Amino acid sequence: MKSISLYKDMGTWLNLMHPYTKLLYIVAAISIPLIGSKLWLFGVFIAASLVILASGKVLRHAVPLLAFSATLIVVIFLVQGLFNHANEQVLFAIGPMTFYKEGVLFATKLGLNILNMLLSFGIFVLTTSPEELVDEMEKNGFSAKFGYVINSVFQILPQMMMTKDTITDAQRSRGLETEGSLGVRMKAFIPLISPVVMSSLVNTRERAIALEVRGFGRKNKKTWLADRPKHKGDKAIGAVLVLLIVLTIAGRVLGWL
Amino acid sequence: MAKIFKTKLTAATIVLIPACIGINYLGKLFASLLKLPLWLDSIGTCIGACLGGPIIGGLCGAVNNIVFGLTTGDNITLIYALTSLGIGIAVGVMARLGFMTSFPKAMLTAVVGGTAAVVISTPLNILFWGGTTGNVWGDALFAFTQAKGMSVGMGSFLDELVVDVPDKLLTLIIVYLIIKGLPKKLTSLYDVNTEVERLD
Repeated sequence: MKSISLYKDMGTWLNLMHPYTKLLYIVAAISIPLIGSKLWLFGVFIAASLVILASGKVLRHAVPLLAFSATLIVVIFLVQGLFNHANEQVLFAIGPMTFYKEGVLFATKLGLNILNMLLSFGIFVLTTSPEELVDEMEKNGFSAKFGYVINSVFQILPQMMMTKDTITDAQRSRGLETEGSLGVRMKAFIPLISPVVMSSLVNTRERAIALEVRGFGRKNKKTWLADRPKHKGDKAIGAVLVLLIVLTIAGRVLGWL
Repeated sequence: MAKIFKTKLTAATIVLIPACIGINYLGKLFASLLKLPLWLDSIGTCIGACLGGPIIGGLCGAVNNIVFGLTTGDNITLIYALTSLGIGIAVGVMARLGFMTSFPKAMLTAVVGGTAAVVISTPLNILFWGGTTGNVWGDALFAFTQAKGMSVGMGSFLDELVVDVPDKLLTLIIVYLIIKGLPKKLTSLYDVNTEVERLD
């Protein structure tokens, strides 16, 4: 069974860091360039994220993340470069398409923002297991019921994927067309999805009964199976990140940036 | 009015949320498998909203995007947690008002859900990507409106509208068919108006 989570346990310092510290890094990496509103700040954080990813040995795994955004960035460049309302100065032209300076500049800013967001989230996504995050949140008073909701998504999805494969094969063997014109493909959608949906909804009833029997609704204090080792750097890194955010806000208000 | 938002937070409704998130994921998967030009990633949210009410629907939507944003690296979805929340609440309210009882009424729910999605997504699209949505048809229209000199807001609104409303129509057709087919012993778990009779 394949998990949908991209978490990789490489045994590096990034895996040992507290999830909150990594979340704080995301906040800092996204907010500082936006508050400071300078292009080079995006560059600084993109470079920092790349270095951190490399030191955590997960840089290779971050490449598919960037592929997600590739089409979006290309579309933004085309649309803004060609049609932005502020467009005045011609930058260059490819055949009949003329790119303008203002639009390209605007698109660069949006594109850098997307890259920055993807990479800083990548650090978190690739090095934090979802169970660990939920455990830590529950230790800080997050509702155990919602903790269950998040954890069970990861258990249910692989099961549903298997059911999906079974049903796709079963429907194809009955002669269901899944390729062809748009109309044919539209029609195939309902017979494919409805059996999986029905069976997973019917399963929820049994799961609810099973949970109730095991005392899911009890309000007693619960204990944890695993203690996570503390990383020494958590406090120091957290303090530096908060300081950087405060400095940027101060800089913006006082007019240094 | 209070009844519309009434929610039972029992084990049954808690278990419904992950199942609906799974359904959302499947919808998206089948849509890409069949190469459909729509998202179809809110089927679960709408089922959750119809069964559990607007609060559960909204939760399904928001948790869905947060979980996928934080684990699969597709953190563009994270921004649209607000949209999913809105769809869940809108469809849930419509379902509680009785707009899922017949096919034409379900289509009205779809229009309301689609409109909620458009209204919430458009500002997000403008803020983050300058107006594009990442959907081929919608973005072609956006480029066309921009070339014709229409404002970014209007272009982006139309961009989102031509994708979201057909998307929600197809979604709600599927949801309607599924809800109709669910056994009574399952739907009764989520009925807020039933009373449990004790025999002791």
